[in-house]
Amino acid sequence: MDRKIDYKKTKKRLDGRKMDETRPLSIKTGVIENADGSAYLEWGQNKIYAAVYGPREVLPKHSADPLRSVIKVEYRMTSFSVPQRKRPGPNRRDQEISKVLGEALSRAVFVEQFPNTEIGVYVEVVDANAGSRVACLTAASVALADAGMPMRDMVAATGVGKAYGELVIDLNKDEEDAPDAVDIPIAILPNSEEIVLLQMDGLLTRKEWDAIAKLGIKGCKQVYEIQKKALVEKFELSEAKGKSQVAKEKTVKKKTVKKTVKKVKK
Amino acid sequence: MKKVVIPGEILFEERKRLGSNVFVSDGKIYSKVLGITDNENETATVVPLQGPYVPRRDDSVVGVITRENFAGYGVNINSFNECFIPKSAMRTPLSLGDVIIAKVSNVSELKEADLTFPKRMGDGEVISVNPVRSPRLIGKNGSMLDILSQGTDCEVFIGKNGRLWARNGDLELLKKTVKFIEENSYKSNLTNAVESLLRK
Amino acid sequence: MRDTVMEYETSKVLKFAREGKRVDGRALDEMREITIETGMSENAEGSTIVTLGKTKIIAGLKVDIGKPYPDNQDEGSISIGAETLPLAHPDYESGRPSADEVELARVVDRGLRESKAIDFKKLCITKGEAVWVGFLDFYALNGDGNLFDAGSIAALVTFNNAKLPKLDKEGKIILHEYDGKIKLARQPLLTTFAKVGGKIMLDPTYLEEKASDARYSAATTDDGFISAMQKGVGGSFTLEEVDYMIDKAFEIGDKIRKQIKQVK
Repeated sequence: MDRKIDYKKTKKRLDGRKMDETRPLSIKTGVIENADGSAYLEWGQNKIYAAVYGPREVLPKHSADPLRSVIKVEYRMTSFSVPQRKRPGPNRRDQEISKVLGEALSRAVFVEQFPNTEIGVYVEVVDANAGSRVACLTAASVALADAGMPMRDMVAATGVGKAYGELVIDLNKDEEDAPDAVDIPIAILPNSEEIVLLQMDGLLTRKEWDAIAKLGIKGCKQVYEIQKKALVEKFELSEAKGKSQVAKEKTVKKKTVKKTVKKVKK
Repeated sequence: MKKVVIPGEILFEERKRLGSNVFVSDGKIYSKVLGITDNENETATVVPLQGPYVPRRDDSVVGVITRENFAGYGVNINSFNECFIPKSAMRTPLSLGDVIIAKVSNVSELKEADLTFPKRMGDGEVISVNPVRSPRLIGKNGSMLDILSQGTDCEVFIGKNGRLWARNGDLELLKKTVKFIEENSYKSNLTNAVESLLRK
Repeated sequence: MRDTVMEYETSKVLKFAREGKRVDGRALDEMREITIETGMSENAEGSTIVTLGKTKIIAGLKVDIGKPYPDNQDEGSISIGAETLPLAHPDYESGRPSADEVELARVVDRGLRESKAIDFKKLCITKGEAVWVGFLDFYALNGDGNLFDAGSIAALVTFNNAKLPKLDKEGKIILHEYDGKIKLARQPLLTTFAKVGGKIMLDPTYLEEKASDARYSAATTDDGFISAMQKGVGGSFTLEEVDYMIDKAFEIGDKIRKQIKQVK
């Protein structure tokens, strides 16, 4: 990357965002029919599917915990989700991410309600551009709620850090490649602001950290609002429609069908 | 007012009688699940919209035989634990895939259910429904169940475990109506809507 | 969706089959609805999501520069991989590729490769030095049977729409810039059947596969060739049955090829 880029001068980021502006984020639930809960998430270029299966019997049996459910997360990337083809099968990075995501979610779910079971959480990245682990955690949390799991809160996550001389939220790939890049994935339970995921690599002063922590929590709370919307929007609290309305709709449909048939005949 | 809430969403800042699917933290009441709440209710309670079946004592359930050994049968009741019924409990032997109805007599700390009064169901069909929405299929004092069986001429048995067993009558109409109730379980005016759906 | 148990469902499938019917109300020779969507993965040189009824898969192609094999100095290559992710079905397990996954990938691969749809000579950049190497991987996102046909459609559409990377003066790939396409000489597609309770069913669902005694797939092309066949599972077919399935495979293949033509 160009060393001359200086966000202090440009006041804008490479992709035109403000320093505290996240990339566009959208979430949809109920996208994988076989799953007990699921979500599809787009966050900038990142595209992620998340599915929840369970609570169900643990296999092998000896890995069960008689006091709580074990949340098993599998974070994976498709081979074509990154510019340089990724070899199939989980690598060390995938395994580490799976572990920390599982630990973050375990704090949110009332796991003691389902002793001796496992809750399988599977996240698959189909297109990636920096920040895929926080995108996966955000999607997984929505999928868990979609599965009806009892939770003390959602888990909302974001990337935050430093690039080209400024503290920024939600770094993209170009910013992760900056010479002074610091990338901090952070996740919180929004009510209590408990931090359930925190990783970092790069160099940071103590003072910068204070500002970054604030920025991160603010970002997580924005993510939370989108999670909430995704879960609620499916349920419209209107009146159930009886036969009269349904019948009306049907006749309308029939009419349009007849019309098109006529057109074809002509 | 009725409202859709998500897990961890605050319901009340003040004390209130606690119903189901809520928890208290720092004196405030929160929802545990994705569900519907009514803030005009006496108790803080959330009716879940999704979720697994967790067996409770006295539940009537529809089970399927999935395993057999010399002592008895493994029964799947749509819970995360398999149940067991001894061969001595059955007058005639069962085979894999057979459907039974039974009552939950006890639930252990590990949420394992004991079954009593198992009864083999003959030819019929099992329909799967969202377990947390199945109470609406029964209705108050079985009112919805009556509407369903009368409207479709089906013999219907509804298990608390998200399974319904039915035979005779108009099974296709029954399936359609059950799906309608499942999809609209949280909406108002459901009984009227179902009645008009079944009116001949 | 929490479903009723396998033991009950498969016995129901068999009961219906004996009456010449299917649980989902389809005719024995009826395909489920197909939807095709392309270009969701920006990092891939081509990507496609195919739904076949409730079955949903995603395929993506990565193209890289490689060294040619010593015996084919002027030919590039492709390889196809398949994964049934635990995300897609409660019965799917993670870990090393299972025999089923390997068979799935190989049958889709053979249908395409043996049809000679892709001219490997055209994937040569510099003879003896640099060739295009394509890796197409497809993943089940929701599994409800017949991953063979869904995978085959996704692979064909992905190759049809794939872009080749642009090279700089030193012959290195310029990221996210493209130059040219892979031209396919013909359009091979798999069509799969299952024998359930003695009846031949086109496009089996997961439960129909579980209840089946035998499976048969044929890859057909738009210009009248059969390019691959695979019989699977323990049971057997008569020659008449195979002949019937081949005819049907051409008929169904042509229908799907028409739909694929509309895909941009």
